Amino acid sequence: MGRPGFSPRGGGGDRGGFRGRGGGRGGFGGRGGGGDRGGFRGGRGGGRGGFRGGDRGGGFRGGDRGGRGGRGFGRGGRGGMRGGKKVVVEPHRHEGVFIARGKEDALVTLNMVPGESVYGEKRIAVEDGEKKIEYRAWNPFRSKLAAAILGGVDKIHIKPGCKVLYLGAASGTTVSHVSDIVGPEGLVYAVEFSHRSGRDLINVAKKRTNIIPIIEDARHPHKYRMLVGMVDTIFADVAQPDQARIVAINAHHFLKNGGHVVISIKANCIDSTAAPEAVFAEEVNKMKTEKIKPQEQLTLEPYERDHAVVVGCYRPPPKKTG
Amino acid sequence: MFGNVTNMAQSMFILFEHSSGYALFRVKEFEDVGLLQPQVEASVTDLSLFNSLVKLSAFSPFKSGTNALDNMNSVSEGLVHEDLRLFLETSVPKSTKKEKVIVGVGDSKLGAAIVEELGISCQHTGVVPEIIRGVRCHFPNLVKGLTEQSAAKAQLGLGHSYSRAKVKFNVNRVDNMIIQSISLLDQLDKNINTFSMRIREWYSYHFPELVKIVPDNYTYARVTQYIKNRKELTDDKLEGLEEIVMDSAKAKAISDASKSSMGMDISPIDLINIELFTSKVISLANYRKGLAEYLGNKMHTVAPNLSTLIGEQVGARLIAHAGSLTNLAKYPASTVQILGAEKALFRALKTRGNTPKYGLIFHSTFIGRAGTQNKGRISRYLANKCSIASRIDCFADIPTSVFGEHLRQQVEDRLKFYETGEAPQKNVDVMHKATQEASVVQAKISKKEKKKRKKDKRKMNETADTSATAGDTTAEMDDLGEEPPKKKKKKKKNKENEDIFMDVTADTTMETTAEGDELDTSVKKKKRKKKNKETLEMSMDASANPTMETTGEGEGLELAAKKKKKKKKMMMD
Repeated sequence: MGRPGFSPRGGGGDRGGFRGRGGGRGGFGGRGGGGDRGGFRGGRGGGRGGFRGGDRGGGFRGGDRGGRGGRGFGRGGRGGMRGGKKVVVEPHRHEGVFIARGKEDALVTLNMVPGESVYGEKRIAVEDGEKKIEYRAWNPFRSKLAAAILGGVDKIHIKPGCKVLYLGAASGTTVSHVSDIVGPEGLVYAVEFSHRSGRDLINVAKKRTNIIPIIEDARHPHKYRMLVGMVDTIFADVAQPDQARIVAINAHHFLKNGGHVVISIKANCIDSTAAPEAVFAEEVNKMKTEKIKPQEQLTLEPYERDHAVVVGCYRPPPKKTG
Repeated sequence: MFGNVTNMAQSMFILFEHSSGYALFRVKEFEDVGLLQPQVEASVTDLSLFNSLVKLSAFSPFKSGTNALDNMNSVSEGLVHEDLRLFLETSVPKSTKKEKVIVGVGDSKLGAAIVEELGISCQHTGVVPEIIRGVRCHFPNLVKGLTEQSAAKAQLGLGHSYSRAKVKFNVNRVDNMIIQSISLLDQLDKNINTFSMRIREWYSYHFPELVKIVPDNYTYARVTQYIKNRKELTDDKLEGLEEIVMDSAKAKAISDASKSSMGMDISPIDLINIELFTSKVISLANYRKGLAEYLGNKMHTVAPNLSTLIGEQVGARLIAHAGSLTNLAKYPASTVQILGAEKALFRALKTRGNTPKYGLIFHSTFIGRAGTQNKGRISRYLANKCSIASRIDCFADIPTSVFGEHLRQQVEDRLKFYETGEAPQKNVDVMHKATQEASVVQAKISKKEKKKRKKDKRKMNETADTSATAGDTTAEMDDLGEEPPKKKKKKKKNKENEDIFMDVTADTTMETTAEGDELDTSVKKKKRKKKNKETLEMSMDASANPTMETTGEGEGLELAAKKKKKKKKMMMD
């Protein structure tokens, strides 16, 4: 999508194109969302789905077994990682995130709506004394935030009680996990432009009352200014050439002083010809000019190719000298 | 900007739209704007400091959820809702000579609308965004009776209803039908082909010679369905066979081959299964035909110019690839040219090789007809014309196919020019002619529609007044049926001086619109509404003068072509 002209937003094409690497992908969607945008899966949420089959050997593998591509949505039930005795869930370094240790380790979040999967992910029930608690597995191949956590990001700035503005919410897969993390006290403002994936997003938001769905272009925050309050963190996964600008204007509108931005950058979407490192550096520079102080940057290898996550602080409080 | 104002006292208000209602804040009096900015920035984080700077002066909550949604829609479009007007009229004091009142708003568009409608001067730059940030931060604390929770609840409710409305009233709904049907068409083509291959394989155990005689998939399927067991193919069946293959020699060949076939015998139960599958494939093929027709009709109503220029299917593919007609219209011609060849393009960009010459528009007949040397040129030319056609389709009030026909002719002429060197007509002249023709056709259509609307109204009234009996309604229907042709004739007489060709085109378009039922018109109306909105958004008055725009572009094209020529000459030298 390096050139602005092609797929308008959330172009599944790019994400799809990336899939080839993952091995068997199966399912509909031709060569990724690109060819048949608005086709069966439509939008970007769909495009991403194909990842699940990707067995890349090595690396962390969610709870998902390899080679099971194309099962798309609505595959309830459980398999692979059964809940029960063998699995022990322990808190992750990041508040609100957990690790399930069983045969394979998996990143999980506490399910806010027990008994329901959002996108066919596995659920792990753990008995805690009398109560039964349910966790949902979080696949780093499908979620950039999960990939960043597993990649060892220092701080995600999303914790229970937080208010998060999520730009580029797609079908609400990652959003559902963020809503798990922030819990009933927190709020997630999920902005998505595509109507097709917005439909799925609204369905997710129906069950989770801490998600406020906003079907609107993130380029025009003034259009949804009535819906959004001040937030602690902006998470952006918009994959647009003017991503830095989009994040900046949203930060000017809605981000608290000293709040944080977490941006996932896809190098190909900004400039497909330049070297990824140069693109990341350029984006970081753009952020600096918008009063966002970059604090951390890491690549999402091996989960995504040529992606980086940048964490920054908006209008950081002045350092005390002396 | 403020230099002349500083001497006069001014009081500033801030309008803040929250999901629970409108609020107006009074900003503490200040003398120097330059001093205010850092003061605000410092106080934004601290509630008590901010409280000393900004005071709530009025708050008007929304009455209900639907009321809030109404207001939200206006606010996001930058329009002044009735409620907002009332609120501002009552709570903002009038500017006097001594004191100037300024209202700070979050959106320049809304500010302009308020200035225009209410005469209150507005500001959306400078210190205003900063204050609004502060207000947003402390809003639940500034308004009495509003807690963090209730504010969040209002946002949640409004967010859901707004987003639902957005999804429900999707502006691209007609395009979506096109996108789905062209995708289905491609899928059907693929499937019918694989199924036909299966039939061939399967039936060939029994009658292997048939494949050679009937190579066409669809005919093959029909023939197998007709023949069934080849042993039962007698001479009295020959006539029916001839009807299917449309060739007596072929039918004879089939019957001959059936007698000396080397295929194995087949049991009735196997034959029944083959037959069942064959009939499914045939019905699928028939369905495909119907779907193609539907797509053609849809394209002619949604994008008449584009479909006359490059055909319904290629046009539909372009729309599908762009996502919607509006998106396609916003693309530059260079993008349209290589739409569908992204992979090749990015590979070329990365390796610094040659970029592709064409994408989806390769399937248009024009490019196949051009010589190898001219394929790239005609592709560029065609893409330019496609871009223009899609813009006219997208933004014109009354869709006609006049421009599409002219554009098509232009491409034809250009092809001829490459072949024979015969100079094509000048673009300005063609566009001028097209504009005139289009205005005539559009005038006719609009008149027609007006009449129809009137009739509909009358009809509605009548049905409401009288409990219309069957006889009455039929009589009325007859009336309706007779009326339009008469007037058409009259009009024709009036315009006898004009070009015949023009009249023909006009009539055809008129007839099609006449055929469209009420539903059609309502759809059109809606579409126009959507279009109006979009044109506003794009801040280009395309609906008023699409023709001017195109001529402008056309001239540009012409110029570019001339330049090319010059270059060529230089090279020859």
